[in-house]
Amino acid sequence: MKNIYEPTKVNIVKVEEHSGSVKLFRLQKEKGSFPVNEKGIVFNPGQFILVSHFGYGEAPFGIASSPFETKYVDIVVRRAGCLTKAMHQLEKGDQIFMRGPYGNGFPVDFMSGKDVVMVTGGCGIPPIASLIEYIIEYRKKFGRTYLVYGARTPKDLLMKDNLKKWERDIKVMLTVDNPDKAWKGHVGIVSALISDIKIDPLDAVSAMCGPGPMMDALERILRPLGISDRRIFVNMERKMQCGVGKCQHCTVGDKFVCQDGPVFHFDEIDKSWD
Amino acid sequence: MELIIKKDKIKDWLTGLKKDFKVTDTRKKLLPVKQYFFPPKEGLFNFDKKTGKLKTVDNSKDLLLLIGYLSELEAITQLDEIMEKPEKDFFYWQKRDKSVLIGIVNNSFKVPKGGDLILEKINDKEYRTWILNDKGRRLVKDKFFKKVLKPKTVNYPSKPNPFKEMLLDSELLADVVEWSWKANHKIWDELADRCLGCGICTYVCPICHCFSIDDRVTLDDSQCERCREWDACTLPKFSQVVGNHNFHKTIKERYYNWYYHKFVRAYKQFGKAQCVACGSCGKNCPAGIKIGEVLGEIVKDFKKQ
Repeated sequence: MKNIYEPTKVNIVKVEEHSGSVKLFRLQKEKGSFPVNEKGIVFNPGQFILVSHFGYGEAPFGIASSPFETKYVDIVVRRAGCLTKAMHQLEKGDQIFMRGPYGNGFPVDFMSGKDVVMVTGGCGIPPIASLIEYIIEYRKKFGRTYLVYGARTPKDLLMKDNLKKWERDIKVMLTVDNPDKAWKGHVGIVSALISDIKIDPLDAVSAMCGPGPMMDALERILRPLGISDRRIFVNMERKMQCGVGKCQHCTVGDKFVCQDGPVFHFDEIDKSWD
Repeated sequence: MELIIKKDKIKDWLTGLKKDFKVTDTRKKLLPVKQYFFPPKEGLFNFDKKTGKLKTVDNSKDLLLLIGYLSELEAITQLDEIMEKPEKDFFYWQKRDKSVLIGIVNNSFKVPKGGDLILEKINDKEYRTWILNDKGRRLVKDKFFKKVLKPKTVNYPSKPNPFKEMLLDSELLADVVEWSWKANHKIWDELADRCLGCGICTYVCPICHCFSIDDRVTLDDSQCERCREWDACTLPKFSQVVGNHNFHKTIKERYYNWYYHKFVRAYKQFGKAQCVACGSCGKNCPAGIKIGEVLGEIVKDFKKQ
């Protein structure tokens, strides 16, 4: 009998400081590469893994690296609770554990052929990052593609190297709430963001990830653009323990974020009582 | 032809079984039978911080459980399904696979809904056997069991349980529970006032299976044990994530979520309510809330509208 709770050991091969409280960790298997799924990729963009640091616990993290990369997976970790504080003390060469990938991921087949508007904020970038890597790999299969990425201050924008790299293939639009003197991008969720997005609303999809404030972005960007709720895909966050649909912590109505999600149609979630 | 065992021989028969099994009489235990496969707290993995070695804890035992209620047997049948789909819960089945369940009941019934072997009282001195599978069949190959053509049979009717009858229409219950929340039925505010949020209803429930996973470390920081522990969806931090954001902030939401899981989510997932009308939650609730009465009230109002 397979032990669904047993994690495997991985090496930390790179640690990058992305902001005062956020680090990126690159995880590599001790031997060999990560297995690929039926689509020939290591995970579906938007799927997550459960990372264990024994003594401090286990928690879900969205995968930030490219799903075509078989040698490693990247996670982006904000120092917030006991586990993440302990993880921030880890260095290159240390070992931790992981299991997964879990969940469904973004419906890339449904999305292909359409214009794509991705909206996220702060620490919500990892699953969107893996989706962007997927879109860029199959660039011709997707229409006009936009990333709207917001943060409190310019320092809180993560994965800055990737943002530069992605600009070659998709339109990257950055916005912050509190700009510094050097900031040249947008401030807040402004109408200028919407007027720069040229899509066919009847043939466009949206991917979102992030906490409560993202609802504001939905009201002020996606609704005015005319994208219907059924074509808005949201990557959800909930408390999670088992990751395999048993423990009942991550439910949203009759759905489990760990198995039915973490990506849901917005209208599916909107109707749920909680 | 019936297979019969004399009441005064049951003890001797069980004594004989002790050489192969750890025999436990669950009939006077406060906690339900689930505790033997899904204990209140159990170690899953041991991690040695010095060597970096991870070991899976082996908690399996050859258990033989004597169970006094048909509802408990039915609950284990349901829990088996929950712990099997979509993937087998390793630590539950590690113990469950090796276990044998014997029901010993004092009332007549028509269809057994669980267990491996049931002993049904048919008169003051004798029990009739119901063999449900090979595990049960092996146990009755014993000198204490005798074939009798027409044993003297007394009917011991069970007390009528209207709550149990209500459960037969789990589709209606799913509709009613969802409707009651959307219609803002006053019962959820009343229950939120009464419920102490202690979680005992979920601990004594033979099907409730929420859990959390935590790590424990020895004082010298050399060993770590990953533990799984019963949780309860009525406890304040059940849906709380880092940064203190809570998806179920109020006791009203948390208490409703308990019903929502049992009667709506469970129905959508498995086609039946995760309740066997055993009444344990009501008997143990310090606020005296009876789930059957709650359902009765909202079903009545649902039918009125």
